[in-house]
Amino acid sequence: MNIPATEKDLMIVNMGPHHPSMHGVLRLIVTLDGEDVVDCEPILGYLHRGMEKIAENRTIIQYLPYVTRWDYLATMFTEAITVNGPEQLGNIQVPKRASYIRVIMLELSRIASHLLWLGPFMADIGAQTPFFYIFRERELVYDLFEAATGMRMMHNYFRIGGVAADLPYGWIDKCLDFCDYFLTGIVEYQKLITRNPIFLERVEGIGVIGGEEAINWGLSGPMLRASGIKWDLRKVDHYECYDEFDWEIQWQKEGDSLARYLVRISEMTESIKIIQQALEGIPGGPYENLEIRCFDREKDPEWNDFEYRFISKKPSPTFELPRQELYARIEAPKGELGIFLIGDQSGFPWRWKIRPPGFINLQILPQLVKRMKLADIMTILGSIDIIMGEVDR
Amino acid sequence: MDNQFIFKYSCETFPKKWVKKMERSEHGNRSDTNTDYLFQLLCFLKLHTYTRVQVSIDICGVDHPSRKRRFEVVYNLLSTRYNSRIRVQTSADEVTRISPVVSIFPSAGRWEREVWDMFGVSSINHPDLRRISTDYGFEGHPLRKDLPLSGYVEVRYDDPEKRVVSEPIEMTQEFRYFDFASPWEQRSDG
Repeated sequence: MNIPATEKDLMIVNMGPHHPSMHGVLRLIVTLDGEDVVDCEPILGYLHRGMEKIAENRTIIQYLPYVTRWDYLATMFTEAITVNGPEQLGNIQVPKRASYIRVIMLELSRIASHLLWLGPFMADIGAQTPFFYIFRERELVYDLFEAATGMRMMHNYFRIGGVAADLPYGWIDKCLDFCDYFLTGIVEYQKLITRNPIFLERVEGIGVIGGEEAINWGLSGPMLRASGIKWDLRKVDHYECYDEFDWEIQWQKEGDSLARYLVRISEMTESIKIIQQALEGIPGGPYENLEIRCFDREKDPEWNDFEYRFISKKPSPTFELPRQELYARIEAPKGELGIFLIGDQSGFPWRWKIRPPGFINLQILPQLVKRMKLADIMTILGSIDIIMGEVDR
Repeated sequence: MDNQFIFKYSCETFPKKWVKKMERSEHGNRSDTNTDYLFQLLCFLKLHTYTRVQVSIDICGVDHPSRKRRFEVVYNLLSTRYNSRIRVQTSADEVTRISPVVSIFPSAGRWEREVWDMFGVSSINHPDLRRISTDYGFEGHPLRKDLPLSGYVEVRYDDPEKRVVSEPIEMTQEFRYFDFASPWEQRSDG
């Protein structure tokens, strides 16, 4: 058959900052040749709020409400890292119960984040139904968070030395009920999605990243584990009390979008396992290291007296960061979230650098979309799982 | 938590002229180097069999206005092979240009753009040096300590001109500096 000769005129399409998927304000300038993508250039910066400069003017306890706005879907992780940094600098011990509560909250937040990745990913591919189903489960997680912390999403819950308040009575049973229900929910998603032929057509073999390449580009999180590298900071770093639970790193070998999907789904099941073990083994004891509450700067002021002890629940703002620097990291659902913290002997940090996983994971996008079709860009972008709040900070 | 393997090994094998100071602390090991030798040092760390630092986790800039070479560029590195982290720092002032490490670590491209945008430390022969987080047409480098937190211009939508305009900033409340010894003490002016 004679195929007419086409003109080699490349078309430049702007997938503008506002678009209906939930990644956020990301602008992609895509150069197309017919329907094949030649090049794609992401432009960031639309959600830059100056989080790092603000951090230089706030004490840690004042900065905690800001940090949940970096990654607004997995909020406990941002708070955990904000609190872990100064704790490591000051060598502050966290009581066992607080550590267990933190692990439970972090794993619930991981489930919530993966759920809200799954919905828009399927919606970008074209399946609208899972988008509503995930919100059903996410609302249950919100209810649990609201009972424990007071807020559905932007909880100001973690404190240096523990958590802000203990779990209410009956929370543990509610959480165990949620775990049982959620396992049936995951089975439902597997039945709907994983062997669906249309889904497999769209997703298998798209956006393949090899293992060596993934390490070179500095990827982390499920993107790295889907390419065959068993690197999970929870196992490698032995932080909080993850070592006391029996769980496995989830990984796949192929490195395409289907592998990333499978890694995230199995991570959700694994998180439920961790939560169930933590809930059954949670010890008693204090939920916060109360020695941080003493005022350091004045030697024995009247505020440390007995009468003032129960007036305010906020710890003192004079937690002084020693003059040292530290890179603290945590395994967020999107990858390795880190902060590089340089303390100055005062309440404010001198430099607070946020290392967002989405920023690094997004760099591989131009390379992955070459020679793909236009419709595959959204699949690949969805499987990278970025959130612009943390990419731009 | 970290193992110290890379650091000890590199302490012994680096040529003396590359390293100004190597410091070891419980919060992470760092080595200070000169900007001329930065590229070679990172190349060595990446390719040498016993260090194999393949991942550049983070590149950030720090501003110490009191020093002569006021900016410090910090490279946080990770070796997945040996599970070890190391930090390399160089200092630069406003006009020094550092060499880009994009050819060694492909993920460093955006970090260097950010260091340029936020601090003004540029790279020689960088393949793509543009602003990344600030607004189109923003002047200045935000994370330097001499730029105030509120900036110099504010933007608003101007209805007669039907577009967003930038104007010098107008603050209705004075800048609140939170540094008091206890949460119940008042500020001096009430």
